[in-house]
Amino acid sequence: MTAVDETIRTDRPDDGPVLEATGVTMRFGGLTAVNNVGMTVRPGEILGLIGPNGAGKTTFFNCLTGMYKPTEGRVRLLGNDLPPKPRAVVMAGMARTFQNIRLFGNMTALENVMVGRYCRTSSMALTSILRGPKFRREERETRARAQELLEFVGLGKSSEHLARNMPYGDQRRLEIARALATEPKLLLLDEPTAGMNPRETQQASDLIFRIRDSGLAVVVIEHDMRFIFNLCDRVLCLVNGQVLVEGTPGEVQSDPRVIEAYIGGAADDEEGDA
Amino acid sequence: MTDLLQQLVNGLTLGSLYALIAVGYTVVYGIVQLINFAHGEVFMIGAFGALATWTLLFQGTTALWVLPIMILGAVVASVTVAVVMERIAYRPLRGAPRLAPLITAIGISVALQEAVRLFYPGAKSKIPFPQIDVVTGPALSFAGVTVQRAAVFTVGALLMSAALLWWFVNHTRTGHGMQAVSEDKDTARLMGVNVDRIIVIAFALGAFLAAIAGVAQGLLNANVDFRMGFLAGLKAFTAAVLGGIGNIQGAVVGGLVLGVAEALAVGFIPGQFGGSAWKDVWAFALLIIVLVFRPQGILGARVVDRA
Amino acid sequence: MSTSTDIETTYADDAEKVSLWDRIGRPVAPFAWPMVLAGAVILAAGCFLSWSYTDEVLGDLSIDFYPGAVQNLMIIAAVLAVIFALMYRGPFSRLGEWLASATALRVLGLGTTVFMALVIALIGVQAGGLVNVMPGAWISFVGAVLILLGAAGLTPRASKDPLHAHLPSWLEILTIVALLAIVLFGAAYVLDIEDGTVFSLVVLFTGLVAFTLTRAGFFTWVGIIAQTHRRVLMLGAVAVAFLFPFTQDGSDANMSIATQVLIFASTALGLNIVVGLAGLLDLGYIAFLGAGAYVGAMFSHSAFATIGWKPNFLLVVIFGALVSATLGLIIGSPTLRVSGDYLAIVTLAFGEIFRLAMGNLDGQDGPRLTNGPNGIPAIPDLEIGSFNFGETHEVFGITLGRFANYYFLLLVVAAIIITVFTRLNNSRIGRGWIAIREDEKAAEAMGVNTFGLKLFAFAGGAFLAGMAGTIKAHHDVSVTPDQYIFLESAFLLAAVVLGGMGTVAGVLIGATILKLMPEKLRFVADYRLLIFGLLLVLMMRFRPEGLVASKRRQLEFHEEDEELADRVEEVHLVEEQEAKA
Repeated sequence: MTAVDETIRTDRPDDGPVLEATGVTMRFGGLTAVNNVGMTVRPGEILGLIGPNGAGKTTFFNCLTGMYKPTEGRVRLLGNDLPPKPRAVVMAGMARTFQNIRLFGNMTALENVMVGRYCRTSSMALTSILRGPKFRREERETRARAQELLEFVGLGKSSEHLARNMPYGDQRRLEIARALATEPKLLLLDEPTAGMNPRETQQASDLIFRIRDSGLAVVVIEHDMRFIFNLCDRVLCLVNGQVLVEGTPGEVQSDPRVIEAYIGGAADDEEGDA
Repeated sequence: MTDLLQQLVNGLTLGSLYALIAVGYTVVYGIVQLINFAHGEVFMIGAFGALATWTLLFQGTTALWVLPIMILGAVVASVTVAVVMERIAYRPLRGAPRLAPLITAIGISVALQEAVRLFYPGAKSKIPFPQIDVVTGPALSFAGVTVQRAAVFTVGALLMSAALLWWFVNHTRTGHGMQAVSEDKDTARLMGVNVDRIIVIAFALGAFLAAIAGVAQGLLNANVDFRMGFLAGLKAFTAAVLGGIGNIQGAVVGGLVLGVAEALAVGFIPGQFGGSAWKDVWAFALLIIVLVFRPQGILGARVVDRA
Repeated sequence: MSTSTDIETTYADDAEKVSLWDRIGRPVAPFAWPMVLAGAVILAAGCFLSWSYTDEVLGDLSIDFYPGAVQNLMIIAAVLAVIFALMYRGPFSRLGEWLASATALRVLGLGTTVFMALVIALIGVQAGGLVNVMPGAWISFVGAVLILLGAAGLTPRASKDPLHAHLPSWLEILTIVALLAIVLFGAAYVLDIEDGTVFSLVVLFTGLVAFTLTRAGFFTWVGIIAQTHRRVLMLGAVAVAFLFPFTQDGSDANMSIATQVLIFASTALGLNIVVGLAGLLDLGYIAFLGAGAYVGAMFSHSAFATIGWKPNFLLVVIFGALVSATLGLIIGSPTLRVSGDYLAIVTLAFGEIFRLAMGNLDGQDGPRLTNGPNGIPAIPDLEIGSFNFGETHEVFGITLGRFANYYFLLLVVAAIIITVFTRLNNSRIGRGWIAIREDEKAAEAMGVNTFGLKLFAFAGGAFLAGMAGTIKAHHDVSVTPDQYIFLESAFLLAAVVLGGMGTVAGVLIGATILKLMPEKLRFVADYRLLIFGLLLVLMMRFRPEGLVASKRRQLEFHEEDEELADRVEEVHLVEEQEAKA
């Protein structure tokens, strides 16, 4: 269970925020999906992002991870500006999972996680063809590390299963393992318990705690209120692309505006995903 | 000035031809998001269909009244080929990875060319195309600009076809069905549109115009060749993309623009890299530039994920 | 979409097929097994009698007790039938638990019956009337029909998964060696057949045997042991390829075909990196071979070469490969913005531009580099050190001609390409390519350098093709633009598709089939493009993953096939266990 330990030591010594997004705005034509959203994630905290359907949660995620280039605003990870390119974002230390699982279905679980190691390894063409000692070592390490991560998320026995054949809950966990393989400082989870039964939800919550305990900051988008309020240190409620409330689970839970947003005029359109 | 006008006339003629073929790419793409790479061959089959009709029925006649029947023969040949191709080759592949229909299209394209070469008498080399009164013959001349009679026919054919097509898409039940399917196939199906039938009609419609283009090409060049579909098909595809694939008006505009651009390149690029030797190179370069930098075309198309 | 209806129709088909076999088989079921055995014996017996009155048809089939080539084939079929029958019941029944003997016999029975009918028809047609068909042929035909009817009466049984068959290692290795030997001598034998009809019959029969063994499940097992004994297979294959020229006894005719196959296969393997591994369609790939060939020609000692400098050939090879790779980078650069169909068209346009440019650079429409449509002729044979590739050499008393020399050189090139292909596939880069094929956006979001990897696939594939091209220039003696038309690119693609995207063995087989057929079957030579066009269509319709399927590719083409997915997974699991053991 020490799989993610080493990331603690690479944390910045001062307690500055891991992620700092300010004034993020995303417009599609005339539609403003995300309007002037700010968000700060502190080291070692679990931040929840809630909001009714169509509130712009996933769009905001996509702005953070470089899938979209925000129309306005600034995203800083560990004090550095993030370029709006998914790959650069991963390299800088932020990894994500997808609302509708996007695993590499015809690869095994282990291979999926090994793909996550891609950006932290460096064997290029010539090394791969000549199979020198460096290649062998790196390949061995990649495999070992991937296996370790699978065990960390509880899939140690499923490493040779094809991703597409795995049960739904396992696929969610595999996606997390794959994201962890990129050695992030901050992990973004897009509805990690969607479609799970209560027992699986409980396991997911345990897993997220363990990830936090190993030193990562985590941001979770979720519909399941109980799950969010049990899990998170802080909660941000997004409505109509704007921050409605930010605070501790208790504060947000009891805020009448949140209840109103959920019961009242919540948009009914399904939110566009990545 | 006369030079420029002359090149413009040449360009518009060529462009009309491209436009007629390009519509076929665009209509099919708009409905099934498939690039029917074998469409150039449908055009070639049209030309041969017209030729066969003439050879079988009117050998030796040059009267104008045979032209409509030749066009009918061309249309029958093209539409049959296109519909059969859709039914047996493309339809089973709906939902397959995108590589599959493309490779199939290449296969069909090669097979059709070879079938004509091997089984059409004399098709191993170019075959003379019949000359018809009025639409061929001595060129017309306006203020120093020569206009081939066949060119007038080609442009006229494009104008009429475009008008007909516009009417068909906007004023018939089937046309409305086509629009519905191109917006959203599943919803259209739920609304009771027979999607399979609409797709067949799209293929047939494209083939219809390609057949007319085939006849026009035959009249323009005075000969037909089993290879004529490849280059024409590619150029027409360029035209379709240029105009915004899926967009019917776009295909017409794209065809004309490409034709004129090509004619101007032949006439006005100076030095060793000008002239007709390089005109196809410039056309392909334009194709690449459009595909890479403006895949939505001049008039724009609905952006579809082409991955 | 129409998927659901498709599935229904296939089920309906299956049901019908089964019932047809059973309907034929039910009356004979009680004595089906002896019937098969008797049929096999009768089939073989007929082969020892004369089949034809004249000796001019299908080689010579007119002599009693001296079977000709075609008769030998039927004897092999009879032996196979006996073996399968004894697997179904009798001394080999333990083997029968693993192989689907009844199914195999049905295929074999049907195949031999059709084959015999075909032979009788051919004798009838070629000798002018069925009176020329001697009793022997009819007896064999009856034997074949008996096998067919008897096999229909057998009950197909579920066989065990060969994945769990654990034979002693030496036996598995022996099988591989035996199969390779069959390939070597089979190839030498087949290539020696002059008569086009006999050749097609032999090919047909080979196909029949292969199909029978496939249906029996034999090749599934071969695939598994080939995986376990990869080294042995590799060494064996190299040995076979190396020994092949020695079976030709100095004849250049077949060696010339073999070198063409090698050039074609090497290029197709390069293309397979782009198409099979990175999943990008390149319709202008022949331009890379062309670029290499033109570089080879321009720096050669030909009197028509356009560049005065004559460097060492090794330098030319590297230079050709680099020029080609640069082109690959250029052609690959649009992958940053376009993908799918549009990318395919872009590559096609690049390929055409290459050909047109080569045809134009003749000093009139551009600088004089390529002599335009005339190309660069009279390229002398290669000379590496003091070894001249144009001369014949004696090795162990066997004469090796000009083409044999090129063959060995090309073998080295092919070996390099295969090594590069398999090692890249099985590395970090290969994993990145699979991820791109599966879900490019997700791959990018996981930090895979998608653009770099796609570019590398293009440049790498082009590098290898350029290398082959420089040798091709000397091998072909002349380089002209019309060798590099779009059809050639389509042909390469066909080799990849036919053989199996992403596999080495598949592409080798695909390339061999596509190059060998037209050479040997002169009467189909004119129809070769028609056949190949139809083949592409049929392959995409019925077996898009190719003859030798990469398991993963197969899954990609059959997303809804759960059974296949489970099967692939099981193979993974067993492999892992074995790796640990």
